[in-house]
Order: sequence, then structure tokens, then C-alpha cells
Amino acid sequence: MKFLKVDMSTKSVNVEDVPQEYMGLGGRGLTSIMINAEVPAKCDPLGPENKLIVAPGVLSGTSLVNTSRVSIGAKSPLTGTIKESNAGGTVAAALGHLGITAIIFENQAPDGELYIFRIDENGDASLITAQEYKGMGTYALSEKLLETYGEKSSVFCIGPAGEQKLTAASIQTTDVDGRPCRAAGRGGLGAVMGSKGLKAIVVDQRGKSADAIADPEAFKEAAKAFAKAVKEHPFTGQMLPALGTAGMVAPVNSMGAFPTLNATQGVMEGWEKISGEALAKVIQERGGNPSHMGCAQCIVHCSNEFVDKAGKYVTSSLEYETIWSMGGMTGIDDFDTIAQLDRLCDDIGVDTMDTGVAVAVAMDAGYKNFGDGEAAIEMVEEIGKGTEFGKILGNGAAAIGKHFNHKRVPVVKGQAIAAYDPRAMQGNAVTYATSPMGADHTAGNVVGEYMSRALDPLKPEGQVEASRNTQIAMASVDCTGLCLLASFALTTPEGAEAFLKAMNAKFGTQMGPDDIPALGIRVLKEELDFNRRAGFTAADDRLPQFFYEEALPPHNKVVLISDEEMDSTFDF
Amino acid sequence: MKVRVKLFGILGQRFPGYHHEQGMEVEIPDGARVKDLLAHLEILKSFGGVVAVEGKLLAEDARLENGAEVNIFQSVFGG
Repeated sequence: MKFLKVDMSTKSVNVEDVPQEYMGLGGRGLTSIMINAEVPAKCDPLGPENKLIVAPGVLSGTSLVNTSRVSIGAKSPLTGTIKESNAGGTVAAALGHLGITAIIFENQAPDGELYIFRIDENGDASLITAQEYKGMGTYALSEKLLETYGEKSSVFCIGPAGEQKLTAASIQTTDVDGRPCRAAGRGGLGAVMGSKGLKAIVVDQRGKSADAIADPEAFKEAAKAFAKAVKEHPFTGQMLPALGTAGMVAPVNSMGAFPTLNATQGVMEGWEKISGEALAKVIQERGGNPSHMGCAQCIVHCSNEFVDKAGKYVTSSLEYETIWSMGGMTGIDDFDTIAQLDRLCDDIGVDTMDTGVAVAVAMDAGYKNFGDGEAAIEMVEEIGKGTEFGKILGNGAAAIGKHFNHKRVPVVKGQAIAAYDPRAMQGNAVTYATSPMGADHTAGNVVGEYMSRALDPLKPEGQVEASRNTQIAMASVDCTGLCLLASFALTTPEGAEAFLKAMNAKFGTQMGPDDIPALGIRVLKEELDFNRRAGFTAADDRLPQFFYEEALPPHNKVVLISDEEMDSTFDF
Repeated sequence: MKVRVKLFGILGQRFPGYHHEQGMEVEIPDGARVKDLLAHLEILKSFGGVVAVEGKLLAEDARLENGAEVNIFQSVFGG
């Protein structure tokens, strides 16, 4: 249990015991509570007062399956709010193996200086000058860094977009095969990393100084039971391994909730061409891998390796959200183009979601035609080249909307929505509007409630409560390192019980089922407090006007949640 | 009556010879409900059979109409 505190202005690295007030915290819980306590709420997100905090979940690095999420926290330059963005890959487990609770980057290197932060297998850390890597894409960079520091390393890095401090810049991290294709995409945290003068973090995966587990035997038993629950759940044990998250294309289109052509339709014409079923078939036929292990400790294998017609690797993993943003929103129904756009975004280091929505907004504004794949590729390439247009696009959908003075810009608090139209899933309208993170499906996706028919997606009744409950649940899960997808095994009594036992065995505690959501409520309260002090009010918890005015076919609904109902979301 | 069924997720694997592009025609009694169709296809609730027709998720008791284009998929929770 230690913090590595890195002062980027003096280049000093200090190892500290975790202070009492942060004990027992990890992931989003740690990043958000620390940001709220230590970062001035009104600070410039790209200035020296902001901090960049990298924290594995409390269970990362243990033998519990699917616990390889790493949280990155800071004040977001995209939204102006507090932000936690998390990613998979291998770095969370590597930090866990070294007993590192968090790395905290403070202040900034002088303009033009660029560094790599390297942690070796003994946990010794240092800053190394990285001028030779300036402007490099994440794929070439990762290859070089793995060559230099050894294949048993995890790379966590930014591309040209982060160096340019563009507000849709992502942080990319390597998968189990050493490719920088896992992203903490949302909220522009790559720009914060760039503002610190930090190009990459390289962590040796061979650490052997993990924090002790209070009751190792009980933990082992619980871990076994939890793995069984994940394997036996139809979603995590069958659907995701077969189709990945792309399996969402069919159900969401079948519900009329797939935002299409910049959210003007709820069903994409020809969506079956870009469905999960079609994707698995194409990958299989070309000799790629439709069921790939992307992250350390993963038994779900929702990832895939998309290959071109010659069988050559293009990208991993082609995910539902990217298929939507680069496909549904833009009217591009061809996997090769979508995969190329995904690869470009990962290499340049920008969020595929905000970038895809930005491309769609530009198309809707008449800059290019919907469905023009070549134009989309050229637009995204401009971000990497650092052209004037590329800078606007790389600042995300809100920036491109302002540039074109376009009326239809699907963002909340400056962040693009996800692949669920709020007019056809009214609960997700509540989540987009009220989440402290801006529009964010991972903050509280209500789609599972609709699938079980517990709730009618088109009616306002019950949506606030459903959003509140999922937001609390996700805030809790994001503290643990558990993957959002594997967390759906918690919806079974066996999965929930095993997970609680694992937490208690890890910490030697006697937590009950209510203590986990209590942690989520605590985290949300801290995040809301930060945003309030940053100047956000209830008036910011609204969707763009067009969602209240333009009915979405085929249901022809608008958002039906009143302002008063929105404002009751966090009545706890 | 007859309905045209398309199966998503891994549901198609349960029916030998199922061709995804075409789907399959299923004969069920007139006035059959969603739950009758699922029972006919032996898709258990625990497996997450969700039925949608014309962009709407249907409740178990909803009646199906002759000639309906029915999409059946497994429960999903997010992605």
C-alpha cells in the first residue's frame, strides 16, 4: 500500500505510505476522493494545479478474475467536471503486483520537455527523458518501449493528440499482446497527461510485492465461486465470448434506440451489416480471432482481433461503442473502414466515441456526406497531423458543433453521448444528464432493466430510480478494478455473494450487501461536491434541447423526464 | 399462423441448419403469445430470450400476429 508521488516540475519521485484518509480505497473511489480533496475545483484542467492520478482497483493484481481495470482521475479539460476514466489491459494487475495503490502526477514539466515514468520489477521508479518519442503514435511508441524495457512490461501512453492537449485525447494502454489498443478514452485525460509532459508510463509486470490478503484461503474459495458465476451467466459466459460487445448492435437496433446519422434515427438502415454476428463471421473467415483475451485475468474474452482481407492485424478490439460512433452515427456500414478509424484513433490517441460523434456532427452540418468512409478517415488523420481542422475535431463533438454552429450536437457537459439514444431509453437520458462525468453510459446504463422488461424504455416512470441505482452500482464497481462486463455476474445471487466474500477476505472485514452500494454513494457525493464547487448547477444536468424537441423514429419520442425529476436523481 | 424469426447472439447455434441471413419461418397456433413462441423454440427464460417486433420489446404475454418479423436475442446488460 504505497503512493508514488511524482513532481513533474522538479522531477522528483517520492514513495509514501497511503495516508489514513485514503486507506482501503482504490480505483474511482480513490481518484475521485483525492481529486475532490486536493485539486482546486476551479483550476485550469491543463494547468499545474490539476493532478493526474492512476489507481488500480482494490482487487487488481489478485487472483480474482476480470479485475484488471485501472482508473485515471483528474479534472477533465473536456467537461470541466471531475473525471474518472478507466481502461483494461495489463497495467492495473502490474501495479497491483507491486503493491502500488496509486501514482500521482503533480505540477508540470517545462514546455517542450517530455518524459517516461518507468517502474521496474522491484518497484523502483524514475523519470526518463523521452524527447526522441515526441509526436510518435502509440503503436510505434509501444513497440519501442517494449523493445527497450522488455516484453513483460505494461505501457500506458499518449499519442500526438495528448501531446497537443486536445480535449478528446485518450490514454492508451497495452493489452496482453503488447498492443496499445485499450483506452481510457473519455474526458480528455490524455490532454492532462500531455500537459504534465508525460508521454508514457512503463510498468514491469513481474513485481512480487503485492499487498497481503487478510484471509488467503477464503479469498481463493470466493474467487473460484465468482469465476463460476461469470462463466455460467449467459451474457458473460456465452454471448460476450462469442460476439463481444458488438453483440449489442442487434438488440439496440431492435429496440429502435441506436442513434443513427447524428441521432436523427433510432434504427440504422442495414444495421445487420455491422452487427456482432456479422463481425464474428468476417473475423473468422479472414483468420482473425473473434474471442480474444485482451486484459490480464480475463475469462470472458469479449475482445477480438480484426484483420484485413489479407489476414493482417488491423485493430483490437472492435467494440460496440466504436462500431456505433464510427458506423451508425456516420452512416458507414463497412467494417474495414470502421476498423481503420478505430486503429487511427488508438494510434493518434483520441476517444473513438467523441471523435466518431464529432465526425457525424460535421457530416450533419454538411461538411461531408454521411456514409463517406474516405472522408471520415481523412478527417481523423488530420488530428494526427495537427492541422487546424484536426485540432477542432480532436477537441471533440462539442468543439466541432461550435465550429459549424450546428444545432444538433449530442453532448452533455461537453462529452458525447454513447450508443443508446436517450429518447428510446429514457433511463439513459437521466444518466447522461446527471452523471458527474458528463454523458457516460458506463456511469449507469439502464439497458439491462429494459431487457428484463422490468421497465418500459419509452415511458418516464421509474427511470430516475433505475438510473440512480445503476449509477450507485457502477460507482461501487469502479472502485474494485472489476470489469464492467464481468460485473454483470453480480446480478446473480451466487455472483454477488462470492464477490462480497472476496472483498471481505481481501480486507479482513465483515461487510454486508449494503456496504458496497454505500461506497458508491460516498464516491458520487464527493464527485458532485467537486462539480458544485467548480460551478456546475442543476441547469447543467440537462440534455441538449433537440432531444426534447426532435422526435426519434421509429418511436417518435422525445425525452420525457422533467427537470424536477432529473433534479431528484441524487436525493440520497 | 407463421412468423419469421431471426435469432441473435448465440441462439442460432441451437438450431441445426439455421441460416442467419434468412432467419427461419416458425408455425405457431393462431393468437400465440411471446411466451408460446419461446416455449415452442425451447428458449428458456433463464437463457434470456428477448423478443422484439418492429422496434419494440414485447412482454411475455403480448400476442404475435401472422407474418410478424420477430427478432429474438439474449439479454444484454451493456457494452
